[in-house]
Amino acid sequence: MRKELEAKLKAELQDDVVCVEKSDERTIMVDVKREAVRKTSKMVTDINGRYLCSIGYDNIDRDGTIGLVHTYSVDDADRFICVRTSAPESDPTIESITPDLPSAGWSEREYMDLLGLKFPNHPKPKKLIVADDWPAGIYPMRKNVPHDLVPPGAEDVAYQLDEAPPGTKIVPIGPFHPSLHEPEHFAVYVDGETIKGCDYRGFMTHRGIEKLCQTQVSYNEVPFIAERICGICGSVHATAFSQAVESAGGIQIPRRAEFIRTLMLEVERIHSNLLWLGVAGHLIGFDTVFMQAWRVREQIMWLCERLTGNRKTYGMILIGGVRKDITPEIADDIRKVIDKVEEELMVIHRAIEKDTSIHKRTKGVGTITKEEAIAWGLVGPVARARGVDIDARRDHPYAAYDEVKFEVPVLTDCDVWSTLVIRVIETFEAIKIIRQCLDKMPGGEYFVELKDKIPPLRHAITAIEAPRGESIHYVITGEENRPERWRVRAPTYPNLQAVPLMLLNEQFGDFPIIMGSIDPCFSCTDRVAVIDLKSGKSSSMTKAELERLSRKTPERA
Amino acid sequence: MLKNLCKKAFAKSIWVYHCNTGACNGCDIEILNILTPFYDVERFGIKLVASPRHADAMLISGAVTRPTLPLVKRAYDAIPDPKLVFAIGSCATGGGAWFDTYNVTGGADKVIPVNYYIPGCPPRPESILYGVALALGLVEKEVAPVELKQMEFPIDMYERNEAWEKRNVIYELVK
Repeated sequence: MRKELEAKLKAELQDDVVCVEKSDERTIMVDVKREAVRKTSKMVTDINGRYLCSIGYDNIDRDGTIGLVHTYSVDDADRFICVRTSAPESDPTIESITPDLPSAGWSEREYMDLLGLKFPNHPKPKKLIVADDWPAGIYPMRKNVPHDLVPPGAEDVAYQLDEAPPGTKIVPIGPFHPSLHEPEHFAVYVDGETIKGCDYRGFMTHRGIEKLCQTQVSYNEVPFIAERICGICGSVHATAFSQAVESAGGIQIPRRAEFIRTLMLEVERIHSNLLWLGVAGHLIGFDTVFMQAWRVREQIMWLCERLTGNRKTYGMILIGGVRKDITPEIADDIRKVIDKVEEELMVIHRAIEKDTSIHKRTKGVGTITKEEAIAWGLVGPVARARGVDIDARRDHPYAAYDEVKFEVPVLTDCDVWSTLVIRVIETFEAIKIIRQCLDKMPGGEYFVELKDKIPPLRHAITAIEAPRGESIHYVITGEENRPERWRVRAPTYPNLQAVPLMLLNEQFGDFPIIMGSIDPCFSCTDRVAVIDLKSGKSSSMTKAELERLSRKTPERA
Repeated sequence: MLKNLCKKAFAKSIWVYHCNTGACNGCDIEILNILTPFYDVERFGIKLVASPRHADAMLISGAVTRPTLPLVKRAYDAIPDPKLVFAIGSCATGGGAWFDTYNVTGGADKVIPVNYYIPGCPPRPESILYGVALALGLVEKEVAPVELKQMEFPIDMYERNEAWEKRNVIYELVK
């Protein structure tokens, strides 16, 4: 695949391609000059490359440039393609790829703020700095800015909402709102009860984790901090980071450790899916589902405490393996608990499957088509509910997923209901995977000591299927026993960008469940600072599409 | 008289307002967890409410980030007096691992007066329950804070590189 790609790129772009190399089994690094980024990006998407995210990094100390990497995943061939480019500090201009790939919008904005990159043809190059009052000209991700710099705030700066479409009223939701649970602000433009657009001002839970880990701690501590990116899918982030470092450093971890990691990820998936099911029930006013789902989930929390010592933030995953072994007694406990959970989940499943009030609240709500889902780069259950057949566990097998058998449910109803069904089915699949893990787990070591230093300046990318979608971690190893650059792209990051599209022409009362259907995890998304001003996306839709959508709503009602 | 009034106000059911100021969801799910059948906080008359204006107490989770700082103050002001504030989790208690990063102000007590701290990452539902019960006078207080004076790290956790020294210089300047 590398050779074909190289030949194609060389033929098309000649001198603009610097080099095409294979950094590990599944990653192809393409270095191009900055003039050719957009063309290369188009060519990669033509060979079924699915855009993941972009990574900007400060290389001013070394060669006076700021680097930018666009990453793509070729799902059917199990490859990642990273298009690397750079721009000199004096003129940090790179052509934007957002006109072709709308889901790149946020990534590029991120580096306008954090690194001072400029994208002249970006469709919405608005100022997106950390807080409203963050002074211009200070780019926190640059190396000359210390991690604890707190510049004095500019006064009288208010957030400028997008202009409301004519004839609409603004309904503010958040930052503290009972249906959000996290500080985010939505301004929803409504015409009567119908949503005509939505403006999002988020990234309020940004804690500067990436900067902190790049400047203060060592490799050993980062997995624990990574777990605290998100209190729900912590293991996912720790595993993803560890795998990226292991891949960059060429570390082979014991097979038993890989099985334990798989087990932890799946235990977490059960807990997260039940949590979401409960919250979804709560959001449509069906509190019985909330109480019952969380009652079932509590057993998983107790199990985790026995497994790891803590109910959440397990601290199980380390670079080189896992911290604790699974003893035969604990394995029996796990079997007992998942049997019980399966039995009780069947009851809940039967109860909600036929419940007409849930059907009425979720069927046909939050619809977007498969084409739109692909264009916006949706991931996880939200994408699979819209007929996009992607799952990182199957497409890019990691840990022990190549040895276990599981189904990837895909539905084509494109609404909230199918998201719900998929998450319930995936919980049963997770139970299946845990059983297989316990049966197939080999003996031996579960942690390997690292003898050599991790070599610096290696690039590595990993994708992990979190309960709510695919999590991407990109690591550039550093010299001082800590990553030089570590980029986390949580599943909510692409999914949230498409929410305004899901909301368009829906009823206002459905806002909480549509928002909830992507299982938004703002703390994952916000670990780097971006303020987004994305609005109703009406501009990206043709008149015919709008008409079609507006006709669809009354039919449902 | 006010003291008696407070006692009367908090002796019955207290309604709490949950305010996430930049948490990772870990504490939030444990707060929601105490509502569910196994912990069932409603038996003490404690109820989660949506608006600060209905609340007697405020549960803060997460380090206070720069954008949420003015909003937390406003939410606090909206709660009618008398009010209690609980800082839940390590981040709300002292800022957590990111206490000094560029976008974090610190723990909740940097912004508003905090009455009770419930540390833990995340705190167990039992400890949240215990903390609230302590505030209500349902249980006896069993621990007291110890004043720790630690000017410098007694052992070199890391090599004292240049960056580390620079940091200390900054702190001395601030003092």
